[in-house]
Amino acid sequence: MSTVAKTGAPAASFSLTSLLIVVACELIGAAALREFLLVDDWRVIVGLLVVFAIILVAMQRFPAVEHRIEDAFDTQKPAAMVLAIIIVLGFPFTLEGNTYAFHLCVIAQLYAVLALALNFQLGSANIPNFASGASYGIGAYVSALLALNVGLSFWLALPAAAIAATVAGFLLGLPSMRTRDSYLALVTIAFGVVVNQLLNNLDFTGGPNGLVGIPVPELFGHSFSSPLVIFGVSLPSQANFYYLSALLVAISILFAGRLHNSRVGLAWNALRADELAARCQGINTTWYKVLAFAVDAFLAGFAGTIYAFYVGFISPDNFTFLTSVTIMTMVIAGGMDNILGVIVGAFLLTLLPEKLRVFSDYRILFFGVTVIAFLMIRPQGIFPQRLRRYGER
Amino acid sequence: MADLLLQQLLNWVVLGSIYALIAVGFSLLFGVLNIIHFSHGDVSLVAPFLALGAIQALASSFPAASGSLAVLLLCLLLSILLTGLLGVVLEFLVIRRFRNAPVMMALVATVALGIVLRELVRHLFPNGSNPHSFPRFVGGHIELAGVTIPLFSLVAVVCAVLAVAGLFFILNKTRLGLQIRAVSQDRDAARLMSISPTRIFRATFFVASAIGAVGGVFFAGYANLVRFDFSIDVGLIGFSAAVVGGLGSMPGAIIGSLLIAGLDTFVQAVVPNGASYRLVFIFLLVIAVLVFKPSGLFGRTVVEKV
Repeated sequence: MSTVAKTGAPAASFSLTSLLIVVACELIGAAALREFLLVDDWRVIVGLLVVFAIILVAMQRFPAVEHRIEDAFDTQKPAAMVLAIIIVLGFPFTLEGNTYAFHLCVIAQLYAVLALALNFQLGSANIPNFASGASYGIGAYVSALLALNVGLSFWLALPAAAIAATVAGFLLGLPSMRTRDSYLALVTIAFGVVVNQLLNNLDFTGGPNGLVGIPVPELFGHSFSSPLVIFGVSLPSQANFYYLSALLVAISILFAGRLHNSRVGLAWNALRADELAARCQGINTTWYKVLAFAVDAFLAGFAGTIYAFYVGFISPDNFTFLTSVTIMTMVIAGGMDNILGVIVGAFLLTLLPEKLRVFSDYRILFFGVTVIAFLMIRPQGIFPQRLRRYGER
Repeated sequence: MADLLLQQLLNWVVLGSIYALIAVGFSLLFGVLNIIHFSHGDVSLVAPFLALGAIQALASSFPAASGSLAVLLLCLLLSILLTGLLGVVLEFLVIRRFRNAPVMMALVATVALGIVLRELVRHLFPNGSNPHSFPRFVGGHIELAGVTIPLFSLVAVVCAVLAVAGLFFILNKTRLGLQIRAVSQDRDAARLMSISPTRIFRATFFVASAIGAVGGVFFAGYANLVRFDFSIDVGLIGFSAAVVGGLGSMPGAIIGSLLIAGLDTFVQAVVPNGASYRLVFIFLLVIAVLVFKPSGLFGRTVVEKV
């Protein structure tokens, strides 16, 4: 399927302006994120949000600017990637040891993985799924139960939980052979509620109290609860999980990119465009639909495991219908079928309610209003889905 | 034993009628707009709060008049009308903008709208985070064939039947109903017949929200209690009932509600510890129905034409 590969600009000619645009975009993005994480003053938070909204409106008004930036990233792909990796690796050193900021980063990255996972379905194949919170929960509970009852280490619980979540995702995918659209949405909602209610009521899952005392992972004798020392700089213990979840995000991005460019991604896109036409082209629509559910659950299982071992305490309240809706909102607000958009959406929607804590009780209200406002300002998501480009390379 | 059975049957009918009032709105809005108005449950449950607010306001300004049935009914009527208007306002402010957006976009927007509504109720209503007791406006019992039936249950069922009958009358016998059906069948053709879809959307929102409000008020009366987050469960169950019955079909929504309410009362009465497992059973039923009847019990089977 070499002809299918998405290509960059025709000739990757070196251009200083493009490089500068890439560097400026990434540095400004990282700086804005750092500022947003560390700041406490509500005026600055609202200010940053307003600036963000203005940028979105501007991008909406002047598509040329957007195209220029996109082009720059396309032509300077290797440079952009190297810089991004450096920024991700170096980011913890700029956080001034603020444990809360580290915590937010870890959670945001886990949500980024969940959103990327959901993106396979919602973005690529346009299959609604309100059960990703349930897959997340299954991953977390299976790994926690294995660790608590069997004494399995984190590194073994991780694949086990992912497999369990995948099986559950597969089962959930089966009704998708027959139902579609709103009806399928309800099947997934129902599945999510059933899983949540079972976790809440069964005895071995600890009921509403959840599971407590999940052991901290270790790697080469280094406990993840002890501070991480790199080059003589001591980072808080959350940094361990920061790098772990960053690794998971990186794997997910790689996974997503490869899938998008493969026959599978193309089949999913064909499903989104027109299911009947896809079937006429010889695409086994049933298999690809079920596969989308399984892949989503697989990655969600990973994220769930890391969450369980990171927080050390899980309860059904972490995996409700609203969790699934939040993940769904991340994908849609960020931009369907756009990897960068989904990640930005995940960070924004994780950090927003946390940072709106200054409004104390009103934060959920603000959260809802902000989501609606973003959907109105930019209906296609922050970074809209782009057309596949076919060509050489 | 027979006593208990009749009691449960009564519970079933009351609960079924209440769910039906909400499910009908979901189905109606979907039929006309082709989007799922996920915040419909939240809109419906604003009504009991409005009614409570009206009752309290009246009680403080006219202490003499408070407590009389007429005043109570007036408050309820007011809350129902205001909720209908709230639906129209939401359509104007938010939902209008997602009319031509992808289905999922509209879905997420209305879910967020539901969150906003819930939070607004919580903050604007005095002491809104706590549960408030809700009057049953009609007390007393009547004896019928040896069974005591609370008058409230009778009133609830009668009102539900009247409201649904009214809806059927509007849809099938009036000019407005004809226009609504025209828009739901083909928006563009309706426009050619000089029907303004925008006007019809508003009218539909008013009708659906007002009927939902009746359901909301009776739900609060049935539970004797109202809390700002009741609407999550009520909305989900109402939506499920509409989908199980087949979106867009009014009789389907009613049958779906009766089915779900039946299982609900059955599980609570028979299964040990049933109250905590009721949602599990309800949603397993939903999955089962949709696996065997993918477009609901009475939904139009979609035939794709090429």
